[in-house]
Amino acid sequence: MTVANSSHPASFQLDAAINRVSRWLPIQGPIKDFIHHNILHAVQQHPFHKGVAIAAKVYGARSYLPAADYQAMYRKGRIKDFAVDWAIRQSGYTPEHYPLLRTNLFIEDDTQHYPPVSLANNGIRNHWLSHLETDLNSLVHPIMFRLLGNFLDQGISRWTLSKKDEPFCACVWRLAQNSLLPLYPFDTVWAQDMLDKPPDEVILACLQRLVGDEALYEQYILELLLGHPGWSGMVRLIELRPNALLKPRNISLKELIAIELLAEWAILEKKFGNSFNTVRQLPDMSNIPLLSDYEAKASVPLTLQIWHEAMEYSRYAELMVALKDQPAPQKSPVTPIAQAFFCIDDRECSARRYLEEANPAIETFGAPGFFGIDFLYQGYDNAFVVAQCPNILSPKHLILESSTQPSVDKHNLTDGLSDLHVQSHSVLWGWLFTQLLGLGYAVKMVWDTFRPGAQLLRFKTLSEVSAQTHLHLLRENDEPTEDGRLLGFSFTEMADKVEGLLRNIGLTKNFAPLVVVVAHGSSSTNNPHFAAYECGACAGKPGAPNARAFAWMANSDAVRALLRERGIDIPDQSFFIGAMHNTSRDEITYFDPHLFERCPTENFEAFKKAMQQGLHKNAWERCRWFELAPDSNSYDDAHEHVKARASSIFEPRPEWDHSNNLYAIVGRRQLTKNLFLDRRSFLQSYDPNTDPDGTIIVKILSAIIPVCGGINLSYFFSRMDNSVYGAGTKLPHNVIGLLGVANGVEGDLRTGLVSQMIEVHEPARLLIVIEQTTAILDLAFAKLDATLMAWLDNNWVRLVACHPETRQLFFYHHSGWEAVELPEDYIAPVANCAETIFTGKHRTIPVHVITKVAATT
Amino acid sequence: MNLLLLSCELLPLLGIVLITLFGRKEKTIATISFWITHAMGLSIFGLLAVWASTGFAAHEFELFSLYKQGSYHFPVLFFLDRVSAVYLFAVWVIFSVIVRYCRNYLYREPGYKRFFITIFGFAFGLNIVVMSGSIDMLFAGWEIVGISSFLLIAFYRHRVQPVRNALRAYTVYRFCDIGLLLGALLNHQMFHESDHFSNLTVLFEHTAPQPASYLGLLVMSLMIFIAAAGKSAQFPFCFWLPRAMEGPTPSSAIFYGALSVHLGVFLLLRTMPIWSYHILMRSILFLIGFTTLIIASLAEKTQSNIKGQVAYASIAQVGFMFMELALGLETLVLVHFLGNAFLRCYQLLVSPSIVAHALRMEGAIDTNVAPTNPASKIRLPVSIRDSFPEVLQNTLYVFALQEGNLELWVRSLLWSPLKRYGAQINASKLWQLLLTGGVLIGSLLILNQGGFVSASVFAFPLAGAMVLASLSAFSQKHNFIGTWNAVALSFALAGAAVWFLQPQASEEIIFFASGIIPSWLLGITVLLKLPKPETFKDTPFAYRAMAETNPLLALLLFFSFLGLICFPISPAFIGEDLLLYYASKEYTVIAALIAACFVINGIAAARVYLRLCMGRPADFVRGQ
Repeated sequence: MTVANSSHPASFQLDAAINRVSRWLPIQGPIKDFIHHNILHAVQQHPFHKGVAIAAKVYGARSYLPAADYQAMYRKGRIKDFAVDWAIRQSGYTPEHYPLLRTNLFIEDDTQHYPPVSLANNGIRNHWLSHLETDLNSLVHPIMFRLLGNFLDQGISRWTLSKKDEPFCACVWRLAQNSLLPLYPFDTVWAQDMLDKPPDEVILACLQRLVGDEALYEQYILELLLGHPGWSGMVRLIELRPNALLKPRNISLKELIAIELLAEWAILEKKFGNSFNTVRQLPDMSNIPLLSDYEAKASVPLTLQIWHEAMEYSRYAELMVALKDQPAPQKSPVTPIAQAFFCIDDRECSARRYLEEANPAIETFGAPGFFGIDFLYQGYDNAFVVAQCPNILSPKHLILESSTQPSVDKHNLTDGLSDLHVQSHSVLWGWLFTQLLGLGYAVKMVWDTFRPGAQLLRFKTLSEVSAQTHLHLLRENDEPTEDGRLLGFSFTEMADKVEGLLRNIGLTKNFAPLVVVVAHGSSSTNNPHFAAYECGACAGKPGAPNARAFAWMANSDAVRALLRERGIDIPDQSFFIGAMHNTSRDEITYFDPHLFERCPTENFEAFKKAMQQGLHKNAWERCRWFELAPDSNSYDDAHEHVKARASSIFEPRPEWDHSNNLYAIVGRRQLTKNLFLDRRSFLQSYDPNTDPDGTIIVKILSAIIPVCGGINLSYFFSRMDNSVYGAGTKLPHNVIGLLGVANGVEGDLRTGLVSQMIEVHEPARLLIVIEQTTAILDLAFAKLDATLMAWLDNNWVRLVACHPETRQLFFYHHSGWEAVELPEDYIAPVANCAETIFTGKHRTIPVHVITKVAATT
Repeated sequence: MNLLLLSCELLPLLGIVLITLFGRKEKTIATISFWITHAMGLSIFGLLAVWASTGFAAHEFELFSLYKQGSYHFPVLFFLDRVSAVYLFAVWVIFSVIVRYCRNYLYREPGYKRFFITIFGFAFGLNIVVMSGSIDMLFAGWEIVGISSFLLIAFYRHRVQPVRNALRAYTVYRFCDIGLLLGALLNHQMFHESDHFSNLTVLFEHTAPQPASYLGLLVMSLMIFIAAAGKSAQFPFCFWLPRAMEGPTPSSAIFYGALSVHLGVFLLLRTMPIWSYHILMRSILFLIGFTTLIIASLAEKTQSNIKGQVAYASIAQVGFMFMELALGLETLVLVHFLGNAFLRCYQLLVSPSIVAHALRMEGAIDTNVAPTNPASKIRLPVSIRDSFPEVLQNTLYVFALQEGNLELWVRSLLWSPLKRYGAQINASKLWQLLLTGGVLIGSLLILNQGGFVSASVFAFPLAGAMVLASLSAFSQKHNFIGTWNAVALSFALAGAAVWFLQPQASEEIIFFASGIIPSWLLGITVLLKLPKPETFKDTPFAYRAMAETNPLLALLLFFSFLGLICFPISPAFIGEDLLLYYASKEYTVIAALIAACFVINGIAAARVYLRLCMGRPADFVRGQ
C-alpha cells in the first residue's frame, strides 16, 4: 500500500477541471419547485444540431425520432414535400447533392437513431471496469447515495444526519472516525488516514492510483459524475445555490468526488489487494472515446436532421399559412363588458377561446402568469417561504398570508387523523397503532380506489388555495427583516409593477368595468412532480397570490392616482378581481370576495356564467387526449372525468400539461382569435403600435425565451430520450429526501420529465411569432441580452416576424430574415366551430381557421 | 364448498390464460381482470360465508392424488381453517384494490399485459399457499409466489438495477427454499402419512414424540424458521425487502407491503405444532423477531427515501409478529397481520404524496439521534442529559445507516465463498478434475470389489462432483452454455448418486429426468441460436436484451429456466422431492447436499436468464 503524498505536478488544475466538468451536469433543483429549462444547457453555445450531437456523444442519448416515425408522418401527409425541400436547403449542401439527400431520406434504417459510443456509457472508466470484471457502480453507488441522501435529506428520515453548517466531508469523517462501528468501506487504517486529509489531496492521491495518467484525470472525473448525473447535479446546484434547499446543507462537488473516489479505491483494494491495473495500463485504449476529441468526433446524422427540420417546418407552416390570411385588426367600437388576463401558458389557449366564444363581449389578454409581480410568499398553512416568479428573477419582497378568521388553529390543518400514517412513531406506539388503526386503512384504501374524486380524507394540495384569507401587501415599515427582505410593497413599487404589465400587453386605455386576473394552478394527487404542472412563470407554484396581489394593487386608489400621472387612466368604475383557473380540474376560484363591494355585479355574473360554460367545453376538448374518458358528448360527463382524474390516487396523468407545446405568439388577440391552435400555443398580448423602438419586445422576449423556450426544450429532450434526458416512467418512482425521485431505493435521482408527461408530445422546437416589423425587431435584438440572443442565433428556438398590417412573414436566421414562401395551393383548413375539428381525433391537429361568428349571449 | 374453494384457486389461473390468449388491447385486459377479480372476490366471499355457516370448522379436501409410488404420496390437498380464512380475506380486499388501482395506473405502460399476467400468477400462488393442505402443496405455491415476485421486481428490465435487485431477492428466496425443501422432507420422514396440516394440529395432543426425535424437530424447526425469515425479510435477511421496491408502486404495495411479506408468518402459523413444542425453539423464534425489530426500527429512522422507510416499518411489525407467535398469541398475530397489511399497502400506494404533504407540515418531528425534547431528556442521567455522547450518536447512526450491515455479512458468509470455490474450479484444468475423480472412483472400486464397502459409497464421489458442477455453474461469468451444461450435469450427478443409494428407485429418477432433460435441451437449443459473442465484444457485461430483440427465444429460455429450477409446472418438481426422499432414506447428508445444489443451480440459471433476456438493445447497438 503506497499512498503518494507529494509529487503532484501542477499541470493538473483540480478546481478548473471540476468547473469544466460540472457544466455537463443537470441543473434541476429540488422537486418542490420544478423549473423547466433547456436540458442541454451545456451545449447551448453551439448551433442546435451540432450541440445535440455533442451531447449525445457525452451522455449516450438519442437525439432524433427513429427514421421510420418521420417516414410514417410523411406518408400521412403531416410532413409536406415543400418542407422537405426547405429542410434540404437548410442542410448547407450545394444543390447538386439535393437529389441524393432526398433519396437517402427514404432508406429504411432501424439503428441510425441509436445513441453513439459515448463517454458516459463507453468511456475509459467503463472499459477499465470491464477489464477488471468489477461492477464498481453497484458496489459504490448504494453507499454514496445513502450518504448523500441522508446528508441532504429535507425531512423524510426521522434522524437527521448533518449538523448545522457541517461540511459533507466532515460528516463522513465523523461517521468513519468517531463511531464504535466501522463505516464500510472506510474501515481500513489507510482509508481512515486518507479521510483526515483535505479533499484536494484525497482526489489527487486516488486519481493517481486509479487512473495514473494526468491527461485522463478530468475525463475520469466526468465519467464518474455521469455515472449518477442526478446526484452530481443536485450537489453542484446546492453548492452554487444553497437557498434552493429549505434546510440548508454545506456540500460541494469536490467533496462528493473525494469521498466517491476514496470509496472506489477502498472497495477495489478489498477485492484485489493492491494488484489492480490503473486506467493507464488498459491494454487497448485506441477505440475509447476521449474527452479531448468528443467534439470533433460528434457527427450529426444528416438524414435525421433533414427529416426533423422538415417535420418542424411542416408544423410551422401550418401556423404560418393560417396567420397569413388573418385580417389586419380593426378598432372595436364597443367597450367590452369584461377583460380577463390569463397566463401565457399553452393550456390557457383553449380556455380563452371558449370564454370569448361563450361571451364575445369579453376580451382576453395573455402575459406570464406572475403578472409582473415578483415576490416571496408564505401561505397561511405552508411551512416554508416560496418564490412566486420566474427563477431568473431574485425577489426581495416578502408577502405573508393570514386568515380572515383568526380563530382557526394552524395546527388543526396538518396534524389531523388522516395524517397519522406519515408521522413518526416510537416502536411501541407503532405496534399499537398498526394493531388498532391498520384495519381502518382497509376502509380508506377501498374508498380512495373505488370512489376517486370523493372528498373524504384527502390531502389538501398547494393549488387548492382557500379563499378565506388575506394578503399583507402594503409595506408599513421600511426596515428589512433579518433575511434582508422587505415586508410588502410601497405604493410606488406597486404602480411600477402594474404599469409594467399593462404596457407590455398594450392595455393602457379602454378598461372594462370588470377586469379578472386569472392565474392558474393544477391540482393532482399522489404526484411528486406536481410542481411541474403548476404555473411555469411562478417557478412551479400556483399563481394565485400574484393574481390576488395584482388585483389588490390595481384597485388601490393610491396606485391608480400614480398610474394616472403616468398616463394610464383606470376609470373609477373599473374593478379588478383575482382568480385562479385550476387547469386539471377546469374550475375557477375568485379571490377576496370580502372586497367585492365595488364590483359591478351584473358584469361579474355574466363573466362567471361565460367562464363556467367555457370551462365545461374546455374539459371536453381536453378529453380527446384521454383514452379512458367517457365517449359521450356531454360536457358534464367530460368535466366530471377531468375532476376525477385530478383527485384519484391512481392517476399518473392528471392532465397532459404542456404536451405538444409548439408556438409562442406575441401580438394582438385579433391575430389568433379565429384560430384553432389545438392548445399548442403560448399566447402573449402585445400591441405593435405602442412599441416603436422595440423596448417592450425586449422585455417580453426576456421572459418568453427562457420560460417558454425552457418548457419546450424540457419536453423536447425528455421525449427524445426519456431514459437519459427524462426521468423514465413514474410508476416505480420513490421519493428521496424530498429532493427528487429515484427508481427504487438505491437509484440515482432522476432528472427531466417522466414519461407520463411527454408520451404524446410531438418534439419540435418552439416557434415564436411576433406581430411586428423586422426593422423594429432588429432594433430590439440589438438590445437583447447576448445569452438570450444565442438561443435565437443557434436555433434553440425559431422565430418568425409577422407584419402588423400586411401579414407578411419573415423567418429569422442568424444570417438574416428569410421571406416565407409557402406553396400557392397550400391553404389552412377551415371549420365553423372547434368541436367539429377535434371530435374523434387522437393526434395533434393542424391549425384551423374558425369561421363561425360566435353566438351572442 | 369444495367447488367454491376450487374456484378461488383456479380463477386467477383462468385469468392468466384469458389474458395470454385474448389480451391484445389494454381495454380487454382491464375487462378480463375486472371480471376475474370480482368472480374471485365472490368465490372467496361465498367460501368464507359457507365456512362460517358450518361453524368455522376446519375443512380439508383432497382433489386427487398427483403422484403415488411406494410410501411416497403427493396429494393435491386443500385446507381451510381460521388462519386461511383471515389470509383469504386480506387477499380479497387487497387484490381487488390493487387490480382496480393498476387498471388506470399502468395504463399505456409497456408491459401492461405482462404485469397483469404476473400479478394473477401471484394471486394463484398465494391462494395455493393459503389453502394448501400439506407442506408440499404449500411449497408449490411458495415457488409460484417467488417467481412472480422475481418477475415483477425485474419488471423494468431495461435498467440494470431492477434486474440486479430481482436476482438479489430471488437468491434469498432460493436460499430459504432449502429450509422448506428439507423441512418438507423431514416432515415426510417424521410424520409419514400424517403430514397434512389437518393432522398436524392434533398430532401432538395424543402421542408425545420420542425424545430421540427432539433433535429432528429442532432441525426441522430451524429449517422452517429459515424459510419464514427469508420470505418475511426477517433477521438476517432484512436487506432484500427495501431493495425489491423496483416494480410499479402498486406491485410493491401488494408484495412487499401487504401480502408476500406476511407469508413467513403464515408458514409459522401453519407449522405451529411442530416448533411450538419446545421452549428452545420458541426462544429462537423470539430472538429472530426481537433482533429484527431492533435492526429494522433503527434502520427505519435513517431511511431518507419513503419506500425504504415503509419497508423497514413493515419488517419491524413482522418482527413483532414473530415474537407474538413465539409467545403463542395466535389470534393477536392474525389481527396484527391484517392491520399491518392494510396500513403498509396504503402507505406505499400514497407514498408519492409525501412531497406535497411535507411542504405543509412544520418540521416538528424530533430529528436528532440524541433526544431533544425535555420529556425524553429527563429519563437520561444528568451528566449526559445535554451531551449525549457523540460517539454513541455516530455509532447508532452508522448502525442504522448500514442497516446492521446484514447484507455484507450474509454475502460474505453465503455468497462469496461459493463464488470463490467456483472460480477455482473453473480455473482448474479439465484433466485435473478427471484425474482426481478417476483416482477416487478407482480406489472406491477396489474397496468395493474387495467387499470392504457397499456400492452405495459411490454416491459420495458423485455427490461431490455434483457440488463441484453446481459451484462451477454458479461462478461462470462469460460462458452461458457452460453454465447451462454444468447445471444439467449437476442434476444428472444428483440422479446418479441417488441411484447408487437406492437402485430400486430408478423409476423415480427417470421421472425426475423427464422434467430436467427436456428443459435442458430446450435451453441449449436457445443458447445455440444466440448471436456470436463478437457482437458484444465492446460490452461484455451488457445485458443482452433478448426479451426485446427476440421475444420468442426469450420466452422459451424462460420455460427452460423454470424447468431447471424444478418449478411446479415440470415433473421435476415432484422428482426433486422424490430424489431427496430416497436420498434421505440412506444418508441425510447427501439429501442436504442435493438440496443445496438445487438451490445453487437455480440461482445460476436465473443469472443466465437475466443476463440474456433483460437489458435494452441500445446498450450494444450503436447509432452514428
